[in-house]
Amino acid sequence: MKKPFKISLLVSVTVISFVIFYYSLKANNKNNPNIMLNKPLPAIELTSLVNANLKQELPLINRDKYYLINIWSSWCVPCREEHPILMKLKDKIKIYGINYKDKKTNATAFLNKLGNPFYFTGSDKDGSISIEIGAYGIPETYVVNSQGLIIFKHVGPLNKKIYLRISKIIK
Amino acid sequence: MISNLGAVLLIVSFLTTCSTLFLYIKNNIIQKSSIYLQFFLFYKVSFYLILFSFFVLIVCFAISDFSIISVYENSHTDKPLFYKISAAWGNHEGSMLLFILVISLYGILFLLNSKNINDSLRACTIFFQSIIQLIFLSFLIFTSNPFSKIFPVPVQGLGLNPILQDPLLAIHPPFLYLGYVGFSLVFSLLLASLILKQYNSRWASIAKKWIMLPWSFLSFGIGLGSFWAYYELGWGGYWFWDPVENASLMPWIASTALIHSIVVMEKLKKLFAWTAILTILTFILSLFGTFLVRSGVLNSVHAFANDPERGVYILFIITIITLGSLIIYILKFPKESANNNSFTLFSRDFSILLNNYFLIFILTVVIVGTTYPILLSVFTGETISVGPQYYNTILAPFIFIFLILMAIGPLMKWNGKPPILIKQKIFSFFIVSVFLTILISLYLSGYNFIFLLGVMCSVYLIVSVFYEIVMNKKFFSTKQNFSRLFSHLGFGLLILAITLNHFFSKEINAKLHLGESFFKQGIKINFLKSESSKEKNFEELFGIYKITKDNKTFILKPSVRKYKQPQQFTSETSIQRDGLSDVYIAMDYAGDPSMGMGVRFYYNYFVRLIWISFALITIGGIVSFVRRGNEKTI
Amino acid sequence: MRNIFLIILFIFFIPAQLVMASAEREINIYKNIRCLVCQGQSLNDSNSDFAVDLKKVIKKKIIKKQTDQEIYKYLTERYGDWILLSPPLKKNTILLWIIPTLFAILGAIFLIKRVQLAFLNKDN
Repeated sequence: MKKPFKISLLVSVTVISFVIFYYSLKANNKNNPNIMLNKPLPAIELTSLVNANLKQELPLINRDKYYLINIWSSWCVPCREEHPILMKLKDKIKIYGINYKDKKTNATAFLNKLGNPFYFTGSDKDGSISIEIGAYGIPETYVVNSQGLIIFKHVGPLNKKIYLRISKIIK
Repeated sequence: MISNLGAVLLIVSFLTTCSTLFLYIKNNIIQKSSIYLQFFLFYKVSFYLILFSFFVLIVCFAISDFSIISVYENSHTDKPLFYKISAAWGNHEGSMLLFILVISLYGILFLLNSKNINDSLRACTIFFQSIIQLIFLSFLIFTSNPFSKIFPVPVQGLGLNPILQDPLLAIHPPFLYLGYVGFSLVFSLLLASLILKQYNSRWASIAKKWIMLPWSFLSFGIGLGSFWAYYELGWGGYWFWDPVENASLMPWIASTALIHSIVVMEKLKKLFAWTAILTILTFILSLFGTFLVRSGVLNSVHAFANDPERGVYILFIITIITLGSLIIYILKFPKESANNNSFTLFSRDFSILLNNYFLIFILTVVIVGTTYPILLSVFTGETISVGPQYYNTILAPFIFIFLILMAIGPLMKWNGKPPILIKQKIFSFFIVSVFLTILISLYLSGYNFIFLLGVMCSVYLIVSVFYEIVMNKKFFSTKQNFSRLFSHLGFGLLILAITLNHFFSKEINAKLHLGESFFKQGIKINFLKSESSKEKNFEELFGIYKITKDNKTFILKPSVRKYKQPQQFTSETSIQRDGLSDVYIAMDYAGDPSMGMGVRFYYNYFVRLIWISFALITIGGIVSFVRRGNEKTI
Repeated sequence: MRNIFLIILFIFFIPAQLVMASAEREINIYKNIRCLVCQGQSLNDSNSDFAVDLKKVIKKKIIKKQTDQEIYKYLTERYGDWILLSPPLKKNTILLWIIPTLFAILGAIFLIKRVQLAFLNKDN
């Protein structure tokens, strides 16, 4: 192989690799574990925590512009931390709570003590409802629109940054 | 303000490095020895400036000067002093400064240890080393300045991730850097020798220690990281084929091939091209690893501050350095040397060539497995992960064959005449290994085919090493290559330990209330009681567990810690020794405690042998550059 | 008499086989799903809460006679391809296995050439 040929081959391979990895940096930001973004929320039926005869089906179509779903439980410490933020959000947007693998007494005591931000609280005794909507650890929060699409999902406790983001989305 | 001093020192160092380069370029036609002195002096000055700058950074962290962004983001007044200091290099900017310090340090070490090298080669090496130093200094000053300020000055810092508050993890980066960043020097030495037409077997003799030194540090650093992951992460595992782990493994594999290659180059004047390419490859892989870890392109528990913008800069740097070095190689590689590349079949140098093929294959697998998810996400937008299953499946058969080759290779001679008794030796090792494997298999009741193969091949290597040690009558003579013996023995023990550990470790998951017991697989776990304690920046809840196995009792005290700043929970493992194995337990803090406290219990079979193996491999490396036999002059 | 006995045995044998087969199928599915809150373990290896819950959900689907593909689809729709442990042997990931194989073959070819050269030298 002649030298100029070798060099041009080298340069082309290197530049191509550079471009590929450059795009990988761009691509990675889109690929955060939100496979369900802009997909419809799977249909679930929640049974109220306080009244076993009261049921709520989600998603709601063509009702509210946006609403929140928050998965929580009384024994979950980060849930305790994000609670004040939920209380702030409750005046801006309806929040449907899913009480995850919890005892009714503990859950109600929790809400009585710290305040109830939920428009409706459903109970998920065996964790299957949370799995149905693609959750794997609590707390998790979803923002759903009037078409029933999940437009935002956050895993972990809400913080100030996420609160601002959600506020922006739901304007 | 002391932080301003740090920034100033950096800038002055930058300018000094520029001057060093300028001086070299201006004067490289005139080869007066006084020019060299001045040149080396400038370089030393740039080193001291970087060193002081690093000290200034440490001081800023120690006194919690929150006017500096990196101190603010990574520290807190409640941190113990040791961790305040280690936070200096536990973040992206500070670690980049450490990175540059190591580049410069190796330059200085080279200057002090190269009296047997002609000045023009020394100067050209420092020239290239300075270029690398300058590139990274620019990157640091313009995109990742550790001394960037924040105003108004915050009262308190954002704290340090509690997982980073660990003694081993604090010293792990410096060792890794002394490892893979250290390959910059042999890289510069190579380029210098190519340009000055001094790339020959005498060069190989000189260059060897500049590979062995970083290789030893890297081996130790990887072992340290593995050991840390074992006792800290709480999953009983020591290697997860995590992309960040692979990032340090890739240069290790390349440099291992390089070590073998350069020995052939020195002794037999062959493999010139292999050695040069491997030198460049090793350093590029080090940089690539840096890119992977810092650019945000990987999702990993280890990954640093993820900043794609910095990633672009690092990518650009790698591209420039790759292009530059390979162009120099293509243009300046001495053609004549390529003619002497014939091998006789049963010679030691041929077996080293074979070894290189195997190592490159293993390296390819690691590179493919690590970069595949990245590339896939670029081309299809899908995210997948490549786990241990992939690596184990592909690599196992090759490693088994490799072990046998490692045992047979050193039996042969350099000059290619197969020694008289070699066939008998190969065969008798085989008999002994099969015998020992049968013993082990019966003792453990292990009959899995892969298990038996793994044991047999690693025992084969171990037997060959012991044979060599025992049979060579002049036990401490310089003819014994202790470096190779220790490292090869270490590797054989490593694979043996991994095989045993893989097939005979036990894992038990249970949920226990206070006072409850759980019995499974011959092991009884009893949750005795709990205790709590309070430290400066965390509260701790201990669980006291009694483990009973084979009439032996162990008391373990794992804990869950609640840190204050930032608010975070960690689970601390409790480990006790049982021979070469470990009894190991960690508590789960997720889940409803009213259902019982979750525990993960592991019996890690022969895991201590893994640490011993890492140590042996490292010692082999250290022995090599401590006993510098007949080093040539160049 | 013996024939009747054999027929009865045969009749019980088939469901037993089916039950064993389905238990095996269940375990094989569990082995192929990642426990999302564990470190690289499959559902089969893990007893964490999430793993136990997910196994229950999957078991219900098996009972409802869903196929493996339907179950995997359900999971990947919610959790991404990441939840399947062995990189699915789709056309996406086939390269992952092909590239090292190619390298091994290439390496073998180069090596054989060297060996042939070496043999020639040996004769010299």
